[in-house]
Amino acid sequence: MTSTANDRNAGFELRRIVRINEEIKSVVATAFKINLMAMNAIFLAKRAGQAALGFGVLSNELRRFATDLQGQMSALRQLTYGSTAIVNALVKQARFSRILDRAREQTTGKGRDILDEVVRGHHDVDLEEKRSRLKVVNRRLQQMLADTTQLVELGSVLARSAKIEAAYSGGFSASLTQVSSDFENTISLIQRSLEALNKNHREDQG
Amino acid sequence: MKSARTIFENGQHKWIALVRDPEKPDFLIDTNEYLIIDGEEALLCDPGGIEIFPAVFSALCTQFDPRRIRHVFASHQDPDIASSLGLWLEFNPELKCYLSWLWTSFVPHFGGNKETFIPIPDGGMDIMVGGLKLTAVPAHYLHSSGNFHLYDPKAKILFSGDVGAALLPQGGDGLFVEDFNQHIRFAEAFHRRWMGSDMAKRDWCARVSQLDIEMLCPQHGAIYRGDDVRRFIDWFANLEVGVVR
Ligand SMILES: [Fe+2]
Ligand SMILES: [Fe+2]
Repeated sequence: MTSTANDRNAGFELRRIVRINEEIKSVVATAFKINLMAMNAIFLAKRAGQAALGFGVLSNELRRFATDLQGQMSALRQLTYGSTAIVNALVKQARFSRILDRAREQTTGKGRDILDEVVRGHHDVDLEEKRSRLKVVNRRLQQMLADTTQLVELGSVLARSAKIEAAYSGGFSASLTQVSSDFENTISLIQRSLEALNKNHREDQG
Repeated sequence: MKSARTIFENGQHKWIALVRDPEKPDFLIDTNEYLIIDGEEALLCDPGGIEIFPAVFSALCTQFDPRRIRHVFASHQDPDIASSLGLWLEFNPELKCYLSWLWTSFVPHFGGNKETFIPIPDGGMDIMVGGLKLTAVPAHYLHSSGNFHLYDPKAKILFSGDVGAALLPQGGDGLFVEDFNQHIRFAEAFHRRWMGSDMAKRDWCARVSQLDIEMLCPQHGAIYRGDDVRRFIDWFANLEVGVVR
């Protein structure tokens, strides 16, 4: 790959990382909201007593879901940090290669031999190694996105079940139904974020 | 490409100035690099910015094997001084860089590692190149807070970093100052603004007045020779510095 192609690639990777980080931010905010909502729901279920036992259990699960999601997001952020570091090294190397190429064009004799050697070293070993490390990180990123999608799927099942339980909660039915609808809507926001993320990632990889 | 001009030669002892690149884009400041050779060894003064590396390297190669450069002297931390460091290290990983202790943890952002830098204490130090003894002369706050010039007592040359610098207009590309009064007009605004401390300036003028200097070589612009060295020091001593105008 030429150094200009390398630059373009690096720019592309950085933009992708920015997009992923933006989505992570929004998912983290939403997960925080779910956590608060679940805490609220747990109190509500306690007040409803016997009639809302099932709803209480599901609210606890939803809270755990929110915590897991937050954990998943911080792992994802760690990964994007890792790929930023690699991309940064690639950008630096691309710049070095570009300048060394220019120096090569202007230099004759022994100086040129010295630069040839340096340029060869660059292209062959380091660059390939960094690119393959980036590939590994990208694959792990994809895997983690798939895992997160599954986790959110579980969250949405929990929200639907909570809605059903709410219907059987006697006098509290109306308020619990409202709470579980809120859960459902909020989780579907996360699903949309993840879909966008997955789509971006697949297209970029493809 | 820059041109390599020998400004001093006595047997194995040489000073080569790498100057004036007609192809340099004008958004980059023009710089002078100086190679001090003694026999098989050399030291490069202010190796320059990363973007002008090709011009400096190619000109230098016409005179000297760049792998035999043992040392780099960085007068201070600016990007036009040291941002090419990483590239010089590419083919010369053992290269050592003399630099004010103040900047030894900043300049590695341009390249190099723990082993690369030799910190110069505030009072200065001697630096050996082959059998030649050079002296790092304190020039703090002119303009950088950790700043040194390099004196070669045998050649009677003082490399003076940004002191003496002139931003010459298009076409003003002579290697030496020919008409001091004409020349100094292009140095005035630069010194007023960049040099921040009047006390440091007076201190420097007193210090270098003790040295026997035949050439004062700045990092930008033309070289002062003979009586113009004295003229410059006197002019600088009387200039009001640290002024935004
Ligand atoms: Fe400077
Ligand atoms: Fe400078």
